[in-house]
Amino acid sequence: MFVDFFYILRESGVPVAPTSFLRLHKALALGLVNGLSDFYTAARTILVKSERYFDIYDRVFAHFFQGAELPDFKGVDLEIAAKELLEEWLKHPEEMANALGISKEKMQAMTPEELLKYFLDRLKEQTEAHHGGSRWIGTGGTSPVGHSGYHPGGMRVGGQSLHKSAIKVAMDRRYRDYSLEAPLTQAQMGEALKRLRRMVPVGPKDQINIDDTIRATTRNAGEIEIVFDRSLRDRLKVILLVDNGGWSMDPYIDLVQTLFNYTRSQFKDVKIFYFHNTIYDFVWEDPPRRYKPQRVQDLATWDRQSRLVVVGDASMAPYELMATDGSIHIEERSGLPSIDRLNLLAQTFQRCVWLNPTAYRLWSLTRTIGVISSIFPMFELTLDGLDRAVTHLMSKN
Amino acid sequence: MPHESSPPVFEGASKYVLDEELAKIVNISIALEMPLLLKGEPGTGKTMLAHAIATSQNMRLIVLNVKSSLKLVDALYQYDTLTRLNDSRFGDSKRDVSNIEEYIQMGKIGRAFVADSRVVLLIDEIDKADTDFQDDMLDVLDQMEFDIIEIDKTIKAKNRPVIIITSNSKKDLSDPFLGRCNFHHIAFPDPDMMRMIIKVHFPELDNELLDIAVKTFYKLRDFQGIEKKPATRELINWVRALKKDPDFRPKDLIQGKIPYLGILFKKSSDYQLSVQQSRRLRS
Repeated sequence: MFVDFFYILRESGVPVAPTSFLRLHKALALGLVNGLSDFYTAARTILVKSERYFDIYDRVFAHFFQGAELPDFKGVDLEIAAKELLEEWLKHPEEMANALGISKEKMQAMTPEELLKYFLDRLKEQTEAHHGGSRWIGTGGTSPVGHSGYHPGGMRVGGQSLHKSAIKVAMDRRYRDYSLEAPLTQAQMGEALKRLRRMVPVGPKDQINIDDTIRATTRNAGEIEIVFDRSLRDRLKVILLVDNGGWSMDPYIDLVQTLFNYTRSQFKDVKIFYFHNTIYDFVWEDPPRRYKPQRVQDLATWDRQSRLVVVGDASMAPYELMATDGSIHIEERSGLPSIDRLNLLAQTFQRCVWLNPTAYRLWSLTRTIGVISSIFPMFELTLDGLDRAVTHLMSKN
Repeated sequence: MPHESSPPVFEGASKYVLDEELAKIVNISIALEMPLLLKGEPGTGKTMLAHAIATSQNMRLIVLNVKSSLKLVDALYQYDTLTRLNDSRFGDSKRDVSNIEEYIQMGKIGRAFVADSRVVLLIDEIDKADTDFQDDMLDVLDQMEFDIIEIDKTIKAKNRPVIIITSNSKKDLSDPFLGRCNFHHIAFPDPDMMRMIIKVHFPELDNELLDIAVKTFYKLRDFQGIEKKPATRELINWVRALKKDPDFRPKDLIQGKIPYLGILFKKSSDYQLSVQQSRRLRS
């Protein structure tokens, strides 16, 4: 029974163990499951072991028992749907400019790719604020995005009658926030960052090593000999460089804030600096980037064992990166192009990563992302990406 | 209310508001004799659930609070060598020094196994322990027996306890561990559910205050940059404080005058942020 269901779950990426499946049958045999809604609950609690997969489970369930369209879980459908929607809209530019909250002139100046990216960013915001409902798509009633019946995330629910409660529950997709693709929460970040810790013995020898004491004592024919160790402390140095300027980073402020709140509480020795778009002669200790400049050249003389983490969308006009006077701030045109500075940092700190809050599938749309990712190993600022970034930072030990 | 018939059916306790889905999950886990692993953010009532099951089923509750330093054997039993040494030197106790068994004390899991009636065993915050502890413990709970090495004796569970395990998901649990549990994630209650929860705790609370307090509470949870969001426990304490204050008028909350923010926000940075942002509500 339900073998197909089991396999579709597995194919969709939910790690379901066969023993769990047998256990579900035991529950069925015991008569514990009466009706579809019981089955929904029972199967989830027995088969699915993490809330991160609840969302996929909901979608598979709705597909299996209701024939709802099973979306491609790589998220491609969102882009296709968005493209279709955009094409429809482009016939009515005014309406669209209104909906996106930008002027018609500005919109016409954007390339289709930029427009698509902007739109997807807005959609992402919508997903993040799904429960709070404080963002502008879907609230306030001004935006056609919320009214067109389009459901961000790709489940097309229109026109189906939802008469069975379990299906309805599954269709609600209450667990979307917990799925793997969902934005990071602080706790998840902690999980990933904790692996960065490197404990080394420092300080006075003030901890008794019981195993060694026993060994030494027996070797001493029972005369007690106590062996002391130094205590373990985290000595890892972390330098965090954050892009906090420009409207292109605006959608990610919450995300980045969470990241470094967590970093600060996690590591003893963490230095945080700010920059705008890319790095020239200076980075700043204060977020407004005005009072406490730090020469990048001096930064490069620091402990080479430090882990360097750069957070930024790496999206800018190519000349900002390549030209000798590329900075949009006139006072820091020193003659060295930013790309040289980045190279210097990447060569100094061999364990460095660039975390990019932009979705990976959009990277190819921006040229500078390609350039910078050839200098720094670049990872997406998601749970998966952070995990891989941490692995990378620790790998050369 | 106690249920004599088997299998027991869990329907919630007087101070615990149970949603239907969770009730089903608890019942399935009891029937399948599987430990139930509960995850969810703090304040969603993970621990309270075990208390509620124990009360409603008239079972004794045994709580094992997991700490990072906890060794599995400590949770099973302890061999009190110090007392034995003392007894052998001074010999002023009634215990038989040559009988080691008299110096074995049961730990929390051991006690749940030797109890005469079925108990609820709550293993709280399992994520604090290391992976070895978790896997070894699940072995014991799977087999429902463990050995006391010192006296070469196997302790078998007289009654299979109802096992509830909670995790704040700071660490991912291992696959073998997850494979042996049923799993549920308790989402933070929505405003309607929260109203019911508050109603259960304060039956005489008038609806106006209830509505405004809950509404304000969810607004406060939405504040930017808060590290530790207030949870159910904080809300209950806050409502208690509001009730006690003779000068408090529910209207104040609508106007954005929110008293006792310190009950809700317990980190100083959170508190300051909340004070700043609540001023904005006032306009």
